[in-house]
Amino acid sequence: MATEVAASEKDRIGEINKYDFQTKSEAVFKARKGIDREIVAQISEMKGEPAWMRDFRLRSLDIFDAKPMPTWGGDINIDFQDIYYYLKPTDKQGKSWDDVPAEIKETFDKLGIPEAEKKFLAGVKAQFESEVVYGSLQEDLSNKGVIFTDTDTAVKEHPELLREYFGTIIPPEDNKFAALNSAVWSGGSFIYVPPGVSIDFPLQAYFRINAERMGQFERTLIIVDEGAQIHYVEGCTAPMYSSESLHSAVVEVIVKKNARCRYTTIQNWANNIYNLVTKRAVAYQDATMEWVDGNLGSHLTMKYPAVYMLEPGARGEILSIAFASSGQHQDAGAKLVHGAPNTTGQIISKSISKNGGRSSYRGLVKVEKGAHNAKCNVVCDALILDPESRSDTYPYIEIAEQDVSIGHEASVSRIGEEQLFYLMSRGMSESEASTMIVNGFIEPLVKELPMEYAVEMNRLIQLQMEGSVG
Amino acid sequence: MSSTLEVSGFTQASFDAFIESRNEPGWLIDLRRQAWKSFLEKDLPARTEEEWMRTDIRLFKLDRFGIPTASDQAECSRPLLLEGVEVAGSNKSANGVSVDTSFADSVASQGVLFGDLSQLANQHEALIQKHLFTRAVNPHFDKFSALHAACWTTGTLLYVPDGVTVELPFHSLASLSGGTDLSHLLVIMGENSEATFLNETGSLHENDGGLHCGASEIFVGKGARLRFVTLQDWGRDVWHFAHQRAIVDRDASLQWTVGALGSRLSKANQEVELVGPGAECQVNGVMFTEGKQHLSYHTQQHHAAPHCRSDFLYKAALQDKSRTVWRGIIKVDPGAQKTDGYQRNDNLLLSGNARADAIPGLAIEADDVRCTHGSTTARVDDELVFYAQTRGLTKREAVRIAVTGFFSKCWTALPLTVSEKHLVKPSVAGFANVNNSHLVEFAMDTGCFSLRKETIRE
Amino acid sequence: MSDFIRIASISDLPDPGKQLLEVDDRLVVLFHVQGQFYCIEDLCTHDGGTLADGDLDGTAIACPRHGAKFDIRNGKVISMPATEDTIYHQVKVEGNDVFVRLSDE
Repeated sequence: MATEVAASEKDRIGEINKYDFQTKSEAVFKARKGIDREIVAQISEMKGEPAWMRDFRLRSLDIFDAKPMPTWGGDINIDFQDIYYYLKPTDKQGKSWDDVPAEIKETFDKLGIPEAEKKFLAGVKAQFESEVVYGSLQEDLSNKGVIFTDTDTAVKEHPELLREYFGTIIPPEDNKFAALNSAVWSGGSFIYVPPGVSIDFPLQAYFRINAERMGQFERTLIIVDEGAQIHYVEGCTAPMYSSESLHSAVVEVIVKKNARCRYTTIQNWANNIYNLVTKRAVAYQDATMEWVDGNLGSHLTMKYPAVYMLEPGARGEILSIAFASSGQHQDAGAKLVHGAPNTTGQIISKSISKNGGRSSYRGLVKVEKGAHNAKCNVVCDALILDPESRSDTYPYIEIAEQDVSIGHEASVSRIGEEQLFYLMSRGMSESEASTMIVNGFIEPLVKELPMEYAVEMNRLIQLQMEGSVG
Repeated sequence: MSSTLEVSGFTQASFDAFIESRNEPGWLIDLRRQAWKSFLEKDLPARTEEEWMRTDIRLFKLDRFGIPTASDQAECSRPLLLEGVEVAGSNKSANGVSVDTSFADSVASQGVLFGDLSQLANQHEALIQKHLFTRAVNPHFDKFSALHAACWTTGTLLYVPDGVTVELPFHSLASLSGGTDLSHLLVIMGENSEATFLNETGSLHENDGGLHCGASEIFVGKGARLRFVTLQDWGRDVWHFAHQRAIVDRDASLQWTVGALGSRLSKANQEVELVGPGAECQVNGVMFTEGKQHLSYHTQQHHAAPHCRSDFLYKAALQDKSRTVWRGIIKVDPGAQKTDGYQRNDNLLLSGNARADAIPGLAIEADDVRCTHGSTTARVDDELVFYAQTRGLTKREAVRIAVTGFFSKCWTALPLTVSEKHLVKPSVAGFANVNNSHLVEFAMDTGCFSLRKETIRE
Repeated sequence: MSDFIRIASISDLPDPGKQLLEVDDRLVVLFHVQGQFYCIEDLCTHDGGTLADGDLDGTAIACPRHGAKFDIRNGKVISMPATEDTIYHQVKVEGNDVFVRLSDE
């Protein structure tokens, strides 16, 4: 990923996550724009899917058609018939480096992203040559019984396992965009970690990248079996460049008894993107699910990672950060559902609004009847950097059990003048001082990131603060 | 519902007859007709609307109620807030029909207007036309606001001229026993004036039903001070729909205490708009529910001007299978710099079958602000109950003390003439009458009745 | 628990069919499926909304808003996003009459 990775870290994860791309070429599928039964059936047919998946897609399309647009959150102005719902890899990688907008290239440079990766991130077809490294990792994982593949492959190679869980955590009826994804999904990761297996390095989406992973409608399903552990990382700090304006993923995670899963996302979308994502995990007895979610860029992001704690002792933790700059609306948040006794939850949300950007925290804490001794704490802090920007906080709290302890606190403020004055009196420019304060503000998130992400995150914040990104 | 009432539903014929019966100025009749048109056009709110998602009114049957007529007159419920209190004036209605009004001559001679709104509307047309359904409550907001604006029969007006201070409180009571109450409250505080208003609603019998569809409009002029107390203690079968809105001008202050105890189902929108620099508002609300009651309070503190302060605190204690919804918003307009906004909702669940929803919200469009909100939900601490029991109290008494302690912060702003007893006593017989009073004091003093300290951060 | 209350005639409901009913100040959904009658509270435990307008698939009713499913025979939750059972009411048929006994809330 980044250039500044500690040497030890490099040895461990190596450069494997950089150049591993599936280069197998496939027939070009010339889909037309728009969405209807024909397109959806065609997508399924192109992928050679079993009938149940085709039927699932078609049923989801009906649900998508029937559901009204959400009336809350951000203003969504999308012409669903003006989007390509399925693009074959060859289409997308045919783009040349010259097509990539100058400001995106510039940002890559500023972030210090290597040439090859830059091109990949920009969706440019490139040559890669580290099959070997990737292969050894894959071998190590599969020796342990871990399945790590793309979801399309899993439909074919692990049909029983996939079908047992697919669409059970987030049914297509859940919301309009989950229905859309269910109808046209393509790519995404499928991971199964067998009982007791612990993967001690972060699994990165890049390991598994093929062109479809870059799709706008990826579908990820992660099953962490009893006592197993995994840390999955997706995204990157460089702006994701896409010619299509809609990204709508569905991510389902199942964390079984005593298992542990952390799912880290850092995404920085280009300014034209609607990023409307549904992420939900269920945690069983004494299991722990953690979402670490960083949202930058995009025209509008609506994303509320959820943990349903379904058995005693389950834990859910969500750490969310949003940075909204000019023309951007981050409507991000978190949901925790306490469905069993002795469950524990925590939400920490940090948001920053700058240059007329708007960031919203929207969250839910729900304690169901019988969830004795549920404990949950929510802290939301928002920082507004100028008078043009806006911040909203909408935490929903629903409690149906008396024996609980639930707390929520939120504050909105601007950078303290005393703080600024102090730092500037020590020789910093106002911009440097502001950056330092903002870095301190998001510290709780950054320290949870894998090293290379943390480095990039800090650099990205610096760029955002200088106003040279976004 | 009482079977003696004649109910025709809110029909065109009944509206026409109602308009015919009113001897009102043209502008007011026009206003009613426009609102009636809105009422006919609008549907009852749907569950899909954010405001109504948590409040199910499918069992509410509008056609079981109708525009109150003189024949609906009934006995008034006992005015709780008047106990031991000397007032400057009191205005009462029952089932939507004015019952009686008292008003001290010494106060009237200062130019203060007080009494039944429908009578005063004819005598002080200009003043009322300027305020009624203009800037505070929007008649076209929903079907209920439209119904109210079209068909209100009675109400209370208080007008305090510029610079006048009235020491004694004003009082109004709307009573409802099986009928329909569409009463309107209009309070207009002139510049640098000062007054206290005690507004209560109640029913003759604890289990009385009825429909209240009301509105309160409060104008606090520049530099004025108003202390306002609302006690909602309707019978347990009353449907309560209310829009309450206060507009607070430059350097003015509004202190509003709410006790919400009664009704079968309540949906109240309580909004305060701070429109001049230096305006201040403090709201302290208590919800105390039992049985299958459903109380839904939606508050908004709207900062439309810079340098304003708002502080909202709502506390709910829930028994049995009752449910509360509190949804609060601090809205800060662009340019409302130096805003200091605070909102807090604490819930105490006294039963495993109760449910409390809290939705605190911040919508901030200025950068130089300090806005904070918090919400906690907890139960009465076992240790505390155990401790109280070792000191000779029953468990029930111990819980009552804990609840009293829980609410106590809301009472600090009460006018001297009103005590917390006035507000919580009606709900639970003997609530504040724990015999072992010195023990209670001891417990309060030592702080051992503060709830779970780790979650309640005051 | 209340007594049995007559709420419908057998012929009131097609098979399969469902009907929203107001019983004793509560809203319940009566189902007629494969010759049997079932009754559950009109309550999706996910968001507190109504189930009556949902799709009936065999003995499963799907919440029309977010797709949570409940077993109409016992109120058990079958599918996310709900995780809590809804309330089931006992039904008996005598002659042409359908009776329900409301469970506690």
